[in-house]
Amino acid sequence: MPATSRIFNKLSILLRLKEFSVFISLLSVTIAFTLLSKEFLTVHTFAGILTLASELGIVAIGEAFLIISGEFDLSVGSVYAVSAMASAILVRLGISPIIALLLALLLSASIGAANGLITLKARIPSFITTLGMAMFLRGILLAVTGGFPVELGVRHPVFEVLSGRIFGDFRSSALWFITLTILFHFILNRTRYGNWVYATGRNPNIARALGVNIFRVKFTNFIVTSTLAGLSGCIALARFRIIEPVAGTGLELEAIAATVIGGTSLGGGIGTIIGASLGAFLVGMIRVGLVLAGAPAYWYIGFVGLILIVAAVIYSLTRGRGLRYV
Amino acid sequence: MSKEPLMKLVNITKRFGHVVALRKVNFEVYPGECVGLVGDNGAGKSTLAKIMVGYYKPDEGEIYFEGRKVSFNSPMDARKLGIEIVYQELALIDTMSIYRNFFLGREIVKKLGPIKILDIGTMKRISERYLKDIGIRVRSTDELVGILSGGERQSIAIARAVHFGAKLLILDEPTTALSFKEAKRVLAYINELKKKNIAIVMISHNIYHVYEVADRFTILDRGVKIAELHKKDVSPQDIIDIIVRGRK
Repeated sequence: MPATSRIFNKLSILLRLKEFSVFISLLSVTIAFTLLSKEFLTVHTFAGILTLASELGIVAIGEAFLIISGEFDLSVGSVYAVSAMASAILVRLGISPIIALLLALLLSASIGAANGLITLKARIPSFITTLGMAMFLRGILLAVTGGFPVELGVRHPVFEVLSGRIFGDFRSSALWFITLTILFHFILNRTRYGNWVYATGRNPNIARALGVNIFRVKFTNFIVTSTLAGLSGCIALARFRIIEPVAGTGLELEAIAATVIGGTSLGGGIGTIIGASLGAFLVGMIRVGLVLAGAPAYWYIGFVGLILIVAAVIYSLTRGRGLRYV
Repeated sequence: MSKEPLMKLVNITKRFGHVVALRKVNFEVYPGECVGLVGDNGAGKSTLAKIMVGYYKPDEGEIYFEGRKVSFNSPMDARKLGIEIVYQELALIDTMSIYRNFFLGREIVKKLGPIKILDIGTMKRISERYLKDIGIRVRSTDELVGILSGGERQSIAIARAVHFGAKLLILDEPTTALSFKEAKRVLAYINELKKKNIAIVMISHNIYHVYEVADRFTILDRGVKIAELHKKDVSPQDIIDIIVRGRK
């Protein structure tokens, strides 16, 4: 009996870990794909997954940050494309790539600011504001490009910084992804601002009553989310060297799925950045794994959907049983 | 009890459109004293409390704090002077830990190079001390507020106000929705605070609860003060009778 109770004790400690559920998902998906394909458990494949996960993950980090503060952004997919397209067009106009990228990020931040201002000042759900923004931006992208892709055309070290090969198949985007994960994890857990983000998301009225400027918190987070989506678009541009006006379609849903798989509650106030990043990694793993297993590409989104539902059910069942959130 | 009131409201009138929420209300509270602010629904108790904490500005009348005339533009102004309010429903965030709640909005930070990070050790130590004072036993202040009972949460919210230097503490329905035992504990804690010379204004529907801690009662009815009574002169039933009778 004491032995079993000790094992039980250890299990409960493991269960208290906020990212436990996503670990289990990662493990089971890894086992499944390893059985299905000999090439799955290789360094080459790992690097490929990491590259995909980095681009999605940077968007997911921002999305998690915003969702924890109690708002949504459905326009990240469009912002991702707008940012990459703006960079490519500016570079083709002869502007220095560094300036072009900075302008693209500034544009992304401004879109985030617009999302925030409209949502918070007009008091409408961010779901509506950002859905409208997503459609509006996509329309502009298609109108400006006539539906044709735009090629970058030039080489510049800054693109290597964004997504160059660093060793083997690993790309520098992975370093951005990991650094941003650590940075935002730190902000959420070790700074005053992080405390306000959680409080604002869970109960804005209490947060306000205790002196937290909830407008500033949410507004800032809208800008952060949009800027990260823009950065991810620039990273993708650096990798592909070409950008289509329909790039990033559905990316917002993948990012939200990664966030939820990673343990963030859509209700706000609950969630972790590390969880969202692991969620993005899991989504990348499914994408690569299915290709290696020879499954048709259509399976991918269906599989992500299944994992999403399973993850949500697990969280719903385990929450409130001594799980620690913050 | 000192001779000078800590806070004094003179001829306070507050209107919301055509509705007169308060009409020429006078109110005062002394250090170390607890005043029960009572009345039926719509009497204006909460409006008066919100004027005291700077949430509303009165349309007419004056506010004095420690003898000086003051005017609050926001709750922050009032808080700086040591006026704190604890709401029953707006106290703590259930998904956050006890120490993070205790310091929410007023976190203690330390410098790590050029950036300021949370001083988690100090925050835990201070909040632990208060929990001990109140008599709440938890494994650590890392625990979520969600595991605490309503009374424990209420006590922590009050302790937090005290820690941040409250001279005047306004308690909005502190015992509503609490079990009998828990209400007793919260009331005992309020009595402790009076000994620390903190002035307390308690709003409650439960006259028996207010009666246990209040020294004086101010009774409002539809925006007008209808009685000002000392505890020694009345029984809880007398107060209830006055409220039910109302003005006219």
